[in-house]
Amino acid sequence: MNRKFGVVAAATAALLVLGGCASTDTPAATDEFTGGKDITFWVMGGDTPEALRDYLKTEYADATGGTLTIEQQDWSDALSKLTTALPDAENTPDVVEIGNTWSPTFTTVGAFSDITDLHEELGGDKLLKSFVDVGTVDGANYAEPYYFGSRYIFYRKDVWAAAGLSVPTTLEEFNESVATLKTAGQSGFYIGGEDWRNGVSWIFANGGELATVDGTTWSSSLSDPKTIEGLEQLQAVYTDASLAPVTEADSTPWVNINNNASTGAPEAATIIAPGWAHWSIGDLTPDPADSTKTVATWNDDVFGVFVLPGVDGGAAPVFAGGSNIAISAASKNQSASRELLKIIFSEEYQTLLGQNGLGPANLDYASALGDDQFAKALSESAANSKLTPAAPGWAAVEGSGLLEEFFGKVNGGGDITALAKEYDAKIDELING
Amino acid sequence: MSARLRRGLLSALAIVIALVWVFPVYWMANSSFIPNIQLQSFIPTFFPAPATISNYVGTLADGSFFSALGMSLAITLTVVFFCIIFAFLAAVAISRFRFRGRTSFVIAVLIVQMLPAEGLFIAQYKMVSAVGLLDSVIGVSVIYIAAVVPFTIWMLRGFVAGVPADLEEAAMVDGLSRFGAFMRITFPLLAPGLVASGVYAFLQAWNEFTVALVLLPSESAHTLPLWLRGFVQASATKETDWGQVMAASTLVAVPVIIFFLIVQGRLTSGLVSGAVKG
Amino acid sequence: MSAISTGRRRHPAPYLLLVPAVVILLAGMGYPLVFQIVTSLQEYGLAQQFGKPAPFVGLDNYAELAGNADLWWVVLRSLVFCIVTAFVTLAVGALLALLMAAVTTAARLILQVGLLLAWAMPVVAAMTVWIWLFDRRRGVVNYLLDMIPGVDMNRFDWLAQPSTFFLVASVIVIWMSVPFVAFSIYAGLTQVSDEVLEAAQLDGTNGWQRFWFIIAPMIRPVIAIVLLLQLIWDLRVFTQITMLKDAGSKSGEFDLLGTYIYKLGTSSQDFGMASAVSILVLAITIALSWFYIRSLLREDQA
Repeated sequence: MNRKFGVVAAATAALLVLGGCASTDTPAATDEFTGGKDITFWVMGGDTPEALRDYLKTEYADATGGTLTIEQQDWSDALSKLTTALPDAENTPDVVEIGNTWSPTFTTVGAFSDITDLHEELGGDKLLKSFVDVGTVDGANYAEPYYFGSRYIFYRKDVWAAAGLSVPTTLEEFNESVATLKTAGQSGFYIGGEDWRNGVSWIFANGGELATVDGTTWSSSLSDPKTIEGLEQLQAVYTDASLAPVTEADSTPWVNINNNASTGAPEAATIIAPGWAHWSIGDLTPDPADSTKTVATWNDDVFGVFVLPGVDGGAAPVFAGGSNIAISAASKNQSASRELLKIIFSEEYQTLLGQNGLGPANLDYASALGDDQFAKALSESAANSKLTPAAPGWAAVEGSGLLEEFFGKVNGGGDITALAKEYDAKIDELING
Repeated sequence: MSARLRRGLLSALAIVIALVWVFPVYWMANSSFIPNIQLQSFIPTFFPAPATISNYVGTLADGSFFSALGMSLAITLTVVFFCIIFAFLAAVAISRFRFRGRTSFVIAVLIVQMLPAEGLFIAQYKMVSAVGLLDSVIGVSVIYIAAVVPFTIWMLRGFVAGVPADLEEAAMVDGLSRFGAFMRITFPLLAPGLVASGVYAFLQAWNEFTVALVLLPSESAHTLPLWLRGFVQASATKETDWGQVMAASTLVAVPVIIFFLIVQGRLTSGLVSGAVKG
Repeated sequence: MSAISTGRRRHPAPYLLLVPAVVILLAGMGYPLVFQIVTSLQEYGLAQQFGKPAPFVGLDNYAELAGNADLWWVVLRSLVFCIVTAFVTLAVGALLALLMAAVTTAARLILQVGLLLAWAMPVVAAMTVWIWLFDRRRGVVNYLLDMIPGVDMNRFDWLAQPSTFFLVASVIVIWMSVPFVAFSIYAGLTQVSDEVLEAAQLDGTNGWQRFWFIIAPMIRPVIAIVLLLQLIWDLRVFTQITMLKDAGSKSGEFDLLGTYIYKLGTSSQDFGMASAVSILVLAITIALSWFYIRSLLREDQA
């Protein structure tokens, strides 16, 4: 306490010295809550479209008379901002969107408010279960699903047809097809070496896991024979079919499936991407609104989608992308925050999510996604999707970059068994928090 | 080799080096005027013809640039102003006086400064939040000044020590007070040093973004580096719009370039030789 | 030191002059420094950040990092990177400063403006441009190298292996740092009075002797300070490596101390350990700058 006081005193003294000049340009702080009704909502990245944000602001004002401020945080900076702001009662955002895979970590340390009593009203059993689970500790709900999106395959119908190939029905068939499609200037299947979020599908498809839990103790299971089998297949696919750099992680592969402006040919015959990538895929023509840019127009004759097939047919379990949402435990506006959650889980907002291509948390409204080929592929892949382990230290495992490192080394042609053993040990140090 | 020929060759070399050094800056400005369609080609475009300003129009569309510019200017000028004054006073103390604790001060300041900033931000956040100065110019400025002041002290210390004290004494013999002698004789000789430290402080404050990220959480309080980074990252979820990113980069660089070109005159105006000879 | 100062030994002036600097340093760095030292002796993770008491673990964090081979590779890599980059920067900067002094006014202005423009580039902007210049597909560097007969650099991925990754990082850091070094040294050079040089010339000294015996001693303080600065910056270079890693690999082989600490603390939430590494970096920095500290001490005793 003493130490803290000294610091504050010293800082205050310094500020008095500075005060004369510097105070003129200070903008109004945004943390002045009046009447406990003005709240702040942090969204991650640009996934929540502007129209949805406006909807929330309007609805919130109508419901409570308060102002809702929505602030967007970049994914890569989010951890440091959440770590500093969430425990700080004076400056915490009231409601936060967080990556689904970080939910166990923040939930375990007590960053979020217990909203078990609200769970039924928000949707209860109709909410996407795997996302509910990562936000649950000892049967109490802390973080709820916000939206989901899973990845499926985009392919060049023209290239596949020219090679006499058709849509594969098993994973093995897929692996073989994309290998034959590789040429000197074209990936049969474009996947980065460090791209574990997509690469993990091969592990899941073969029945492997990234980690297993015994009671409450998690341990990394890269050395599990099924995991190894998946990794061997992935290594072969990367080596035989992909020209992507071994150091490339989850990126923007769809730039490779469109025709290149210089060569008039695609650099990849096949990619795996989140569903909303379809807005960026198609025939490139000058944008009528701004002739210096191009727009992609989907062309069913050239482009197609399918779900990554499983080992025995059907759909392979892919990585379930998406976000959770929670109320900061330090927030002084708990009841107002609950009002916002009610708006977010309302039929209207859930429908809006679906109409914008984001999988709604409440599966009753999944039909809002529509029934075109993209919606079908999304629903089909999501039904089989899997989340990363709900371990307390999982955010640390992801943050440490160990998975990128491991997948990069595997795809770089490393000895899988030895690497799996090495990285099991490294991940075990972090996974239990 | 005659002196003139040698000077000519060296001058040619200097110009070549200048061109090499400036190339990335040129490339940024060049690309910011090229239509995005053309930038996607595998063959680089070395001259912006046809030029377009659409990248700038797109970049400036939401007005957030100007709020970030205001914030950056406020912070940077605050830092430069106080940093130069504080560092100058301290530099005079340690290079014109011997006193108990002098060496300890110099070494303590040196060491405090060496702490890696990447691990400090949690403590900085707690401190600034405790006095209610998040999202404010003052909070960030205090941290920046503390980070920049040690080096400016040493830089100026070299300059102050480099001015022969005899000059001052001579002036005092001529009837000037000690303070008068300092202001009339030593101070002008320090001009390049003050400019160099000011430039250093300016750049540090203008460029910093790790501390700013944590201490300026609200979008309305973002500085230009945060704005630019947000810009780069926002476009990263789509195909990178290099044209707009380069336009945004150019906009962030322009104020610094203007400042530098103003200061450049000071650096080279012959203040020094003028003072020595006069 | 000088006649003036010796005569004023007990004057309160120096202490008064130091007050603003000391106050601002205490305000800005005091608490963070204490926090750093204390947490390096604690188990301090995300749970502690959210209010759980932090148990003291003595030197456990330090013991753990002593046995961490990954860390020592990062330390070694950082040291090599730092020393090579700092000395190349200093050498190039000094040569350019001498060049400024030796060329015509027009050429000097062109060189100075060129360097100023590079120096004025905000780091985030500069990194964005450089990453694009080295882009494997659309980068100008590969395009130009590929035009050299017999060289196939099409699609060469500079960021894919540590050797070329750190080469690129070093080139960028040198490009950014040289202007500051060149201008500082040039500012030092302008303080060398023409009369002294003319007198020396009349005494029959050649250019090299004049540089070595007259100019070099006068700019020595500037050289020492810029070298120190470069060493300290280059040891914990952060923004550049972070942005290059964002464009390239997330793997630990591409970490230097700055990004390593950030990864340990912010990304893996082990703040106690990150603090311990920070203190280690502080110790390494002190060791690296010992030449400067010693000269300060010696100067003081003289």
